[in-house]
Parts: sequence; structure tokens; C-alpha cells
Amino acid sequence: MDSEKEDIGKNRIHLRPVTLLNVTPVTLHLLPCEVRVNRPAPVARFFTPAIRQGPDGLEVSFRGRSLRGEEVEVPPGLVGYVMVTEEKGEVSIGKQDFSEGSHSDEPEQELVEPPEALERDFDRFISASASFSRFTLWGLETIPGPDAKVRAALTWPSLAAAIHAQVPED
Amino acid sequence: MAGRGDGGDGAGARQHVFLLPECLKDASKKMTSGLMFVKLVRPCSGEGALYLFNMCLPQLFEIKVFKEKHHSWFINQSVQSGGLLHFATPMDPLFLLLHYLIKADKEGKFQPLDQVVVDDMFPNCILLLKLPELEKLLRHVTEEKEIGKKKYYKYSKEKTLKWLGKKVNQTVAALKTNNINVGARVQSAAFFPGHQISSDKEEDYIRYAHGLISDYISKELSDDLSKYLKLPEPSASLPNPPSKKVKLSDEPVEAREDYTKFNTKDLKTEKKNSKMTAAQKALAKVDKTGMKSIDSFFGAKNKKKVGKI
Repeated sequence: MDSEKEDIGKNRIHLRPVTLLNVTPVTLHLLPCEVRVNRPAPVARFFTPAIRQGPDGLEVSFRGRSLRGEEVEVPPGLVGYVMVTEEKGEVSIGKQDFSEGSHSDEPEQELVEPPEALERDFDRFISASASFSRFTLWGLETIPGPDAKVRAALTWPSLAAAIHAQVPED
Repeated sequence: MAGRGDGGDGAGARQHVFLLPECLKDASKKMTSGLMFVKLVRPCSGEGALYLFNMCLPQLFEIKVFKEKHHSWFINQSVQSGGLLHFATPMDPLFLLLHYLIKADKEGKFQPLDQVVVDDMFPNCILLLKLPELEKLLRHVTEEKEIGKKKYYKYSKEKTLKWLGKKVNQTVAALKTNNINVGARVQSAAFFPGHQISSDKEEDYIRYAHGLISDYISKELSDDLSKYLKLPEPSASLPNPPSKKVKLSDEPVEAREDYTKFNTKDLKTEKKNSKMTAAQKALAKVDKTGMKSIDSFFGAKNKKKVGKI
């Protein structure tokens, strides 16, 4: 903890730098459908063995639907991490953060996490559990095309670098 | 939904998929703490947004989230709903400082920086004062005075527009190297999937870059920047678009006319103009076609929700 005032310190999620050196590789698939739970799943038993290299990319089926996919590299200069929030010593489960989220109670196991999920972990620690340099991107029946939102997002870092680079002084 | 932090496959724990700059990994070898996510202001809206702060350098990163309906992750032997992908990219802190300088400028006097950067809503803004080379940064957007070894600053619109102009140029260069198609209007591109319109004009690039930069500045400043860049406003006396509908056909349609005429938005405003006040007319004149918001990269459809990251 730094020397900032306590109350400010509470609105922060501390990332443990040492965990970024963690190079345990992780296998990621981005599916074109919503599975409304967060929990262990026997991916290696049902999904991975069904993946085939077809004429137009990788093929697999999920819930009876045919998926096409391809490996996507993490943009240069970036490293992929899967991060998990840790319990804080005396943290009360389901504690509210100060943001005006409408989630006043603990969400059911079946609920999709709100996008501000990360903020619900203020005043805790987060650490990288594994890292990746590529993931498999899946589309329903066809590989997501060049105008897919995911691909646009992956061009963002190089554009952001230009937007935020310091400008030369006169 | 408690994270058990058991280091396994995240049984029940929320897992966040992140892309972080490599430099953070290198920096991590030298530090044991000092990386944190904090909520700071989003300059274009005044709402909160999540940033990542590296205390050691110090250095500021913004967090953007790719979010599209109907996605989930398989992460090793687990499933994670939502399919969110978080990006941390370097952020020019001057955009945030500018937000506070403009706010403080209402008082119209020179002030020391620690009196400018104050925020009850986002107290973490004091972190900005720790950033290196602040004085050098501030030179781009402020007039300064030095009295008895202490520096006092005042927002300068003139300097700021010049600085933003340079930002736009930088961004235009990146758009070109990344081959981002800025000229095709959505309306026309929809008819020719995969058809590359290679006649991107310089003006289209500037307009697109202006749209991207506008995500980091207030609406008011964005409008001023538009004038400064001399982005033409469409003349009010636009000839009425031809009444014939654009039909889909097998033959390639030649774009003999300006695409914008097929722009439904323009059609609507033309019709509505008769029942508008002078102020509304002036607003309607601003052509927002081709103005790109960063959100278009991340699948966020509406910007109304507070607390989105």
C-alpha cells in the first residue's frame, strides 16, 4: 500500500506485478454464442477433440451447431492474460462498491456478469493466472470476416498508440 | 459468486481476459506493487471510466472493452460468459489534465496545478500529478507563470487547438498505415460487401481522425476543433437527392454522385428543417457522417450507461 489516503486506496484494484511474469500458457476459444454461466467445463473432453482442420479453417460443433474458426494472434507489443480477483483478508462477500450499479444483490450463478464486473472488485487484488499469445476465434458456420467487431478491436492498439503519442513541440 | 483464488481453472471465479502492453511485463520484474486499476473521469462525458496506473514509471493506460452480444470464452477447462476482451493501451494524460484545466478556467486566473486537478467524484485524479514531465506536457495547452519557484497555469484554447491539430495529423498517418477504410459511408458500403472504395480523400481521413480524438475531449472542444480543421459543413442548400431509390442490382452501380446524398440522416434533417428553431438548424447542419467514435471498435452500442469500462 502506498502513502495515499486510506479512502482513496479503497477505490483501486491492485494488480500483483509478479503474476505478470507467470507464463503458464492458457488455451482460449471465443465462441459466437452466450453460455450463461461461469464455471468449470469439460472442454478437453467434448470440444477440443472435435476440432478438425477443414478446407475453410478449423471446424467444430457446439450444441449441434457447426462452427468455423481460426487462430488469431495477439497484436504485436501486447501480451494476453487471464486475470482473477483474489479474496481480500476480511472482505465481505457481495460488498457494494460506490458506483451506481443497479446490482444491489449478489447475482445468481445464472446471470451474465455486468460489464462493470471489474469495478465490483475495488479494494481487492487481482492477479494474472495465465498468459496467451493467441486465441481461437469462432463464428457460426463461417469464420468471422474482416469487418467483424473483434477484428476491429484488435486493430485498436496500433491506432491508440498514434492518438496518444506525444506530439512534437514547435 | 465469490472468487476462490485457488489458482485452478477459476471454478466459479470471475476471469477477465486482458491484453496488456508488453512493457508492463518487463516493468513487473522490478516491482512488487504499484500497478492498479482506478476510476478516473472520462473527458468526453464527465462520467467515470477505468484506467490502469503504473506507479513506478509513473504511466497511465486506458481500459477499453470489446463487448458484443452472444459471445463466451472457453478458458482452459472452464467457461466464462460475456466474452469480454479488455484492452489496456497507453493514454496521453494531457486529455485528462485538459478536462480539469478547462473546468478551472471558469475562474479565469492562473492557478497552481494541485488546485486545478481536484475532483470529489474521482479522488484518484491526484495520481495524475505524479506523472513525469508534466511541465513539458502542459506547455502544449496552457499559458504559465512562475512566481517564487511555483508554477501557475491557465488554459489556452488557442494552444490547445494547435496541439489537437497535431494529434489529428498523427492519427491520420496511423489510419493510412493501418489501411483503415475511412471513406466508405456505411450506407453505400452496405450495398457492396467487400467492395473496397479506394478513393479515400484526405478530408475523410481528417474527419475520421477528428471523430476518434473527439472521444477524449468535450463536445464543445470537439466542435471548435472541427472549425479549426476547416472541416466543411455541408451547405444548407443541398440539392434534393434524386428521388429514385438506390436499387440492388447485379450491375455495379457507379457512384457518380456524392454518397452523402443517399445518407438517410441528411434526408431526415432536410425534411425536419421546416419545423426547427434557429439553434436546432445550426445543430442539424453539423454533418456527422464519417465521424467515428472509438466505440465503433468495441461493439458498444449506446454510451448512456454509467460506469461502463
